[in-house]
This record gives sequence, structure tokens and C-alpha cells, in this order.
Amino acid sequence: MTGAELDPLIHVPTRLRIVSTLAALPDRDSLSFTRLQEMLGLTPGNLIIQLRKLEDADYISSTKTRNGSVQQTNVALTGQGRAALSAYTQALRDLLGDL
Amino acid sequence: MSPNPDTTTAGDNGGNFDPQQAAALLDQATLKARRTFTPLTPLLFTFRAVGLLVVFGGFWLSVRAQHPYTGHLSSAAIAVAVVFVFVNIVWTIMAIALASTGVSGPAQRKWGAWTAIMAVAWIVGYAVAAPLYHAGASHPVWGLYPASAPLLIIGLVGATAGAAFRYWPLATVLLAIAVVAAAAGLGGPANSWLITGIGLCVVYLGIATFTALTQRRSVVRL
Repeated sequence: MTGAELDPLIHVPTRLRIVSTLAALPDRDSLSFTRLQEMLGLTPGNLIIQLRKLEDADYISSTKTRNGSVQQTNVALTGQGRAALSAYTQALRDLLGDL
Repeated sequence: MSPNPDTTTAGDNGGNFDPQQAAALLDQATLKARRTFTPLTPLLFTFRAVGLLVVFGGFWLSVRAQHPYTGHLSSAAIAVAVVFVFVNIVWTIMAIALASTGVSGPAQRKWGAWTAIMAVAWIVGYAVAAPLYHAGASHPVWGLYPASAPLLIIGLVGATAGAAFRYWPLATVLLAIAVVAAAAGLGGPANSWLITGIGLCVVYLGIATFTALTQRRSVVRL
């Protein structure tokens, strides 16, 4: 009964935390991979896997910048990602209201 | 070991993750992110509220018995003010640096522009006091001016800039500061300090409460 209306891409604890963390930023702002990893307490490998899944669905976008010899990756929630989280939140409200 | 174990490997499709758990996690993660990305915290606003009441109250205590009014503040009151300003500046800079670490984008640049405008407003607000003093302004004018006029300038500039940047809570706060400064101007040279202190304390306690309530607002439960 649960899961059917909830976006399966977001309805996974780690990805839900990633998406809700990025959604707290203003629209079009991005967060460095390192800071996101630090905030979520995930291993780099695990975070990369989850971000890739979200990026494949166009929920997040990533950009790489180079400052001297240091390369930094920034990730941001896309408009599609924000809409998906909004729809997911509404689905949660509906489900919880029915319980 | 990671403080937050990976919960995705066992059930990538969210297998046993029920809606109630999801709602709790969504709220928890959002609350944490809001706190992390918000530089001006309720605690900082409360510190400012109490600090401003103490500083301006101290100024009022040091001038209220002056007959005739000279406007000279006691060394102790000035020392308290210097300590407050120093702690406030250091705390604010550290909080902004911490909140914006790793964050980039148009909103960050907009915030930088806002900060620059406010810095100029603060400098101009207080810098114009010096020529007034050297021009030999009377004691009541000189005594009233530092309590009221700079904050009026800062408040009005900040409220206008805040509205232009669509920072509505900040614009409201700065407009309230301008109103307090204008009201203080009606209180006379000595009482203007007290009115400013009480007024700013109320304004900052209000924004502290508003910020705390906004941060704690549930995403799921409206």
C-alpha cells in the first residue's frame, strides 16, 4: 500500500537525505561534494553511487571546477528534482493522512 | 565507521522504509540542513537582543543624571559596548563563513552584495557623526544623534535593499530598527538611549523567535 505513490528514486533513506539537504539551499545554488559528504556522514563511494542515480534521473546536476591543482565537484538540485521532492512530500502527506 | 550507516544497499527500492519513517527522516534532514545553511541563528539574534539592551542601557545610565546634558558616556559603558561590538562581529563573520562553506551560486553572490551594501550603510551612518561633532553641534544634538540618526539611516537603507533583494524578514527587521530609531529621536538626548536599547531588544527577540519557528517548521505536516 505504501511505496506505490512514492517516487522510488527518492524513497530510499540516503537519497532522501541527499535531496532534502540540497533542497534547503536557495534555487540554483550548489554544494560541494566534500561538504555534502561531511553533512551526511557517508563514504565517498556510497555518495557517488547515490548521486549518480539522482543525476541519471535529472534530479541533480553536478559541475566540476578546478582551482589550481584542486578539482572540486559541486552538486545542485535541478528544477525537476525540486518538483520531484515536492510531489514526494505531497504523496507522503496523503499517505499519512490516510493512516 | 561512518556515523550514519548506509541504509541503501539492503533495499535500494526503499523496501522496509515506511511513510512515517520517511516523513520523520525528511523533516530531520531538512531541519539539519536549514540550521547548517542559516548563518544568522536564533542564538545570535538573542545575543544581540540582550547585548544591545545592556549596551544602550549602560549608555542611558551614564548620561541620565547629567544636568546640563553633556552627552559624555562613562568609560565602563564604552568598554562594554566595544566588547559587544567585537564579539558580535567575530561571531557573525564566523557564522557566515561556516554556513557558506562549500556553497556557491547566485544566492551566495546576492548575499555578498547585500553584505557590502549593509557595510557601507553602517560606515556612512556613523561616519557622518564625526563632522557633526567637529562642527560644534550642541550637546543635545550631539547626544541624541548617535542614538538615533545612524540607526535610522542603516534601518532605512537596509529595509530598501532588503526589499530590493526580496529578503523580506530582513527588510522587516531593518524597517523595525528604523522605526525604533525614529521613536528614540522623540525621547530626548538621554532617554533616546533607553528607547533604542529596549526597542532593539524587542526587535531582535522577535526575529530570534521567527527564525527558530521557521527552522523547526515541518516539511510534511503543514
